[in-house]
Amino acid sequence: MVVTGRAVLLAGVATVAVALSGLLGAWAAVIAVGVVVVPLIVDVALAVSPKALRMSRSGDTSLRLGDSALVEVLVSNPTGRRLRGSVRDAWPPSAHAAPRTCPLRVDAGERRRVTTTLTPTRRGDARAAGVTVRSIGPLGLAGRQRTLSAPWAVRVLPPFHSRRHLPGKLSRLRELEGQHTAMVRGQGSEFDSLRDYVPGDDVRSIDWRASARSDGVVVRTWRPERDRRILIVLDTGRTSAGRVGDTPRLDHAMDAALLLAALAGKAGDRVDFLAYDRRVRAQVKASGKGSQVHRIVEAMAPLEAELLESDPAGLVSTVLGAQGRGRSLVVLLTDLNAAALEEGLMPRLSALTSRHLLLVAAVEDPAVAAMAAERGDSGALYRAAAAERTLSERRRVTAELRRSGVEVVDADPEHIAPALADAYINLKAQGRL
Amino acid sequence: MTALSPEAPPTVPSSSGNGPVGPDAHDGSGARRFWRAARFPALLAAALITVAILMSLGSEQFPTGHLEPGSVAPDGTRALVNVLSEDRDVEVARTSQDAVEEVSAAGDDVVLVVFMDHRLLPEELDRLADLDVDTVLVRPSVRSLAAFAPGVEMTGRELPADFLERPVEPRCDLPAAEAAGPAYVHGELYTAPQGADAVGCYPMEAGDALLQVAGNGTTTTVLGNGNPLSNRLLDRGGDAALALNLMDAGTVVWLRPDPPRQEGGATITELLPAGLRWSLLPLAAALVLLALWRGRRMGALVPESLPVVVRASETTEGRAALYRSRGARDRAADALRSGFLERHAVRLGLGPDASPEAVVAAVAERTGGDPRGLRDLLYPATPDPYTADDDGLLRLAAELDERGRRLR
Repeated sequence: MVVTGRAVLLAGVATVAVALSGLLGAWAAVIAVGVVVVPLIVDVALAVSPKALRMSRSGDTSLRLGDSALVEVLVSNPTGRRLRGSVRDAWPPSAHAAPRTCPLRVDAGERRRVTTTLTPTRRGDARAAGVTVRSIGPLGLAGRQRTLSAPWAVRVLPPFHSRRHLPGKLSRLRELEGQHTAMVRGQGSEFDSLRDYVPGDDVRSIDWRASARSDGVVVRTWRPERDRRILIVLDTGRTSAGRVGDTPRLDHAMDAALLLAALAGKAGDRVDFLAYDRRVRAQVKASGKGSQVHRIVEAMAPLEAELLESDPAGLVSTVLGAQGRGRSLVVLLTDLNAAALEEGLMPRLSALTSRHLLLVAAVEDPAVAAMAAERGDSGALYRAAAAERTLSERRRVTAELRRSGVEVVDADPEHIAPALADAYINLKAQGRL
Repeated sequence: MTALSPEAPPTVPSSSGNGPVGPDAHDGSGARRFWRAARFPALLAAALITVAILMSLGSEQFPTGHLEPGSVAPDGTRALVNVLSEDRDVEVARTSQDAVEEVSAAGDDVVLVVFMDHRLLPEELDRLADLDVDTVLVRPSVRSLAAFAPGVEMTGRELPADFLERPVEPRCDLPAAEAAGPAYVHGELYTAPQGADAVGCYPMEAGDALLQVAGNGTTTTVLGNGNPLSNRLLDRGGDAALALNLMDAGTVVWLRPDPPRQEGGATITELLPAGLRWSLLPLAAALVLLALWRGRRMGALVPESLPVVVRASETTEGRAALYRSRGARDRAADALRSGFLERHAVRLGLGPDASPEAVVAAVAERTGGDPRGLRDLLYPATPDPYTADDDGLLRLAAELDERGRRLR
C-alpha cells in the first residue's frame, strides 16, 4: 500500500478542522479520522492491482562502454479499469538508468511503452532488477505497489578505444603485401607472383631467370605469410587488477588485444583468444575465415580481474594443448612483475618457446616513471628510489625474457595498443611467424 | 510478450574462501573476552562512584535561608537555637497549624517567636494572635502588627551602612533590654499609641527598635530586625543576652513558616480547548501518512558488487613509505645509483657486466671531473659520504641528475 501527498493534505485539513471544532472535540475527531481512513481504503480497493499487469521487454542487448542503450518495457493492462501511477525500471547503480521513475497511465485493455536509457560505467553484464509499478486509486489518495519480474540483461562490451589506430596499422600491413600505392616491394617471405618491372622497383628483386625467358624485365613479388595462427592470452590474475590511471591493467590489455585481433584478422591470420588465471575464464577458437573480433569482444565483456595469483604452469599447458601442432604466435598480455614472472613463468618458458613464438606485452605505469623523477626533499627521494627499484626490476625481467628469445612490448597505456600492433607487423615483415 | 535475455556470461567466480580466523574462537574464553571488553567501562564506573561517595562524605547538607534555625550561614540562626536548647525546649514549627499545636502542648510557660510572618494568611495570623501567649514578632508585617498589637505602627526605618560601629543603648526600664545593654537592633522602628501599656526600648529618631506591649496577661514584643539573632551578629554586644532574655520561657516555639504551596489549579491540558486536544488524533494520523508518503520507496534497492580499486603503483609507494620510515638511505642510494647506470649503460657503450673501473672511466671521459669523486658517486665507498644523512642523499640525487644531463 502507498499513500500520496494528497492523503497527507487531507489528514492535515482534518486536523485543523478538529482543532477549530471547539467543544465538539471527541465527535469531530472520530468523524475526521473516518473521513481520512475510509477514502484511503476505498482508493486502495479501487486501484488497479499491479499483479494483473503483464510486462514484456525489448531493446538493446549490448553496447560499448561509454555509449547509451535503450531498453523498453511494454506494460499491458488487461483489467477493465484505467491504471494511473508511476513505474520504475530498476537497474544496478553502475548502469545509470534514466529516468529513475516515470508517470504511467494505461487505459483499460491498452499497452504502453516505458523507455529507459542506460549509460553504464562498468563493463560486463547489467541485469534488470525488476519493474516496480505504483498504481494509484481514482481519488488519488492511496494505491498499491508491486515489483514485477521482467528479466533482461545488457552486455556492456569493452570500449575498444584503440580502434582509431586500425586504419594506420592496416595501411602499414598493405605496404607489406605490396598492394600499397607507393609500389613498395612486398616484404614477406612467401613467393607470390612474377610481374613486369616498373621503375622504382628494387633491382634486387629482379628474377633474371624469368627475365631471360621473356621480353622485358620481370621481378618477383613476395607476400607475407597468411593463415598463421595467433593466440592472444589475457592474464586475469591479481596483477591485472591494478589500476593504471583510472582503468585496470586488464582493460588496457583488452584494448591492445582487440586492436591486434582486428589487425591480424584483416591480415588473414587465425586469431584465438584465451583468458586465464588459475583456470580458463574465457576462450574463443578461430572458426573458419573472417574476423573473430566480434566474438572476442563478447567473450571479454564479463571478464574481471581475479584477486589470486595466476598459475603459469597451467597457463603453459593450456596454451600447448590449445594450439596443437604447428608454430604459432602466442601473445601474452600480463604485467612484467618480477616476482610473479621469475617464480612462475621463467622456468617454464622453454616448453613454450621451443614450439611457439612468444610475445609478452605489458602496460607500464606512468605514475612510477613520474615517481622516479621526483626530487626535492628526502621523502621525494625515497619515492624516487623505490620507483627506480621497480623500473630496474622491470628492466631486468625484460632483459631476461629477451635472452630466452621472447619478444617484449612494454609501453604506457596510451601506446600499448599501437606498440603491440607494430610488433606484430614487424614480426610479419621479418617472416618470423 | 517474451522476455529476451542475451547469452548468460560465465558464472560469477566464487570468492576465495578466507574464512574468519579467530585466535580465541573456542568456547572457554567467552567470559574472558567479555571481561576484556567490559573491564575499562567497569573500572571507569567504579572510579566515578568512589569519587562521588568521597565528595558527598565531607559535606553535611544544612538547610539554608534567612533566619533559618538549621542554617549555619551568616544569616541563619543555628547558633541561637543551639544556645536556647541548652536550658529550654525549642520547637521549630513550619506552619501555623504546627505552631498552634506546639503552643497548646507546651502549656503555660511558653513563648512564641514568629519570623517572616508575611508568609502567613490573615486568618492564620488572627488564630495565632488569639492563642493568648507571650509572643516575639521579628520584623512583622503591617497585617501582623494589627493582629498582635493593635495600634502599634511602624514609623520609620534606620539601618546605616556603619551600624556595626554604633550599637544602640537600651534607654528603657524593660529588664530584658536593660540587662542586655547596647545591641545592634537597627532596622524598622515602631511607635506605640498614646496611653497603651507599652515599653519602647532602643529608641532612635523615628521610634523604638524594640517595643513590648502588654495586654490580657501576656506580652507582645516587636523586634524591628532579625539581625541580632543571626549567626553573624549574635556574639556582638548585647545581642545574645537580649535574645535569650526575650525568649525566656520553658518552651520556645519557633515559627518560621515555609512559603505557602500552591494547591489545586488546572493542568495545561485542562486549560486547552477540547478541540485542540482531540486534534492530536488526526494529527497523529497525518504524521503516519506523511511518513508513509515520504518513506515508501519505489521498489527495493539494487545491490551491486563493487570493483576492486587498487593502484598498480601501490607496491612501489609502499616500498617508498618503508624506505622513509626506516630511513633506509643505503637502499635508496643503491636504487638511485643502479637506476642511473642502467639508464645510461647503453649510451656509454657498456654491457650489463661492465666492471666499476670501466664504468667510472667511461663516465669520466664523457662528463669530465675527478675519477675518484666519480667512483664515490657511482659506487658506495666505505664509509659512504652520501648515505650519512638526508642531505647527502639529496646531494647524490642532484649530482647524478647533473651527470645525466651532461651525458645526454
